[in-house]
Amino acid sequence: MRALILNYGVGNIFSISSALKRKNLEVDVSSVPRPEYDLIVFPGVGAFSSVSNFLRSYGETLNRLRKEGSSFLGICLGMQVMFQSGSEGGGGEGLGWFQGKIEKLQGAPKLPHIGWDRVQLTNSSLLTENIDGRYFYFVHSYVAQNYDPSDVDLVANYGSIFPVLVEGPGIAGTQFHPEKSGESGSLFLDNLIRWLRR
Amino acid sequence: MTTKRIIPCLDAKNGKVVKGINFLGLKDKGNPAELAQRYEEEGADEIVFLDVTATMEDRGALLDSVRSTASTISIPLTVGGGIRSVKDASTLFSAGADKISVNTAAVRNPSLVTAIAREFGSQAVVVAIDARREYDRWKVYVRSGTEATQLDPVKWAKQVEEAGAGEILLTSIDRDGTKNGYDMDLTKAVSFNVGVPVIASGGAGSAQHFLEVLTEGGADAALAAGVFHDRLLTIMEVKKLLISKGVEVRP
Repeated sequence: MRALILNYGVGNIFSISSALKRKNLEVDVSSVPRPEYDLIVFPGVGAFSSVSNFLRSYGETLNRLRKEGSSFLGICLGMQVMFQSGSEGGGGEGLGWFQGKIEKLQGAPKLPHIGWDRVQLTNSSLLTENIDGRYFYFVHSYVAQNYDPSDVDLVANYGSIFPVLVEGPGIAGTQFHPEKSGESGSLFLDNLIRWLRR
Repeated sequence: MTTKRIIPCLDAKNGKVVKGINFLGLKDKGNPAELAQRYEEEGADEIVFLDVTATMEDRGALLDSVRSTASTISIPLTVGGGIRSVKDASTLFSAGADKISVNTAAVRNPSLVTAIAREFGSQAVVVAIDARREYDRWKVYVRSGTEATQLDPVKWAKQVEEAGAGEILLTSIDRDGTKNGYDMDLTKAVSFNVGVPVIASGGAGSAQHFLEVLTEGGADAALAAGVFHDRLLTIMEVKKLLISKGVEVRP
């Protein structure tokens, strides 16, 4: 299977690339979305407005690729831009693939939220097999709010409860970093590959 | 709630992991990628990689070490040493660093913290603060502990938080390598006065030291080097004690 990691030009995409290669995916990196990939990854680096502007400039292409059968994984910020809007750094529109907006995490003792947290199952799916109760690595200050609970498979609690795995037809987003989450992350990526083959 | 993190630190010089006492007398402790992998297997929550003698000339060796470490491990990697510009930071992110740590350059030019945070996000910027006790107060030191500044670590920590730092790596030079325990007063003073996570560093010698600094000391993470390199203590032994005392850690 082939994966394309979209490079918005900032940050570490080396780790997600290494993690997917360890799962025997053929990995390419490009700054332009391209057809004929099983998986297109929005990596978790950068700031909301610049990344959402970048992706929205390819809005039609991305929607066409979805129709043609490519699946999408958004990680952290890459998941957040799949929602309708964000308030970080002056705010901006997202892709609107999931209902909800991205707001600062409420009630958190310290921000950014950096570290390992236990995830809790809310909806079972191929993506959540053997995942409930495991610890994943988080590094973020913003979370999805006003979301549709039926999109949410997993939540975590840091000051307040927030979605950490959202799923729709051919699209998935994680607030955690599977590529940084050791054995738990590896299990999640195994599930992701089964989900791609479904 | 977020777990407390245990972070082994690889201090590297010319591609080898080294460790000294009070920042001096560095001894060879092995290959960074191999050590990092061993620590991941033993339960490390994150790895910090500091090139203690980094200059622009030996940046190549640092980048090779970062790449090989980042491709081996699947936990977060922070890299520090000799970062003086957004471009330096960018090069390290491209090589596989999840966060970069700045120390001397932040003191010389605090706007560097803001510039890196704006481009890569606060979560990717760690400011390392090395402090030494002087009578009843502390002073911030730069250049691997060789040069004193007039900065107070608590005020400096608040200032870098304001500037966009996402985390503070706080090292007691007095305790570094002594295995006598973390500087609890210093850690408390900083961690209860800033809103970003604090990583305590310097002096870990027993599991009890980790427990103290992560509870009473208010630290969010505890970093250690020598005690793990020399196998005086394993990460699992530390976590076992923490769990038995009701401190949540990733098992």
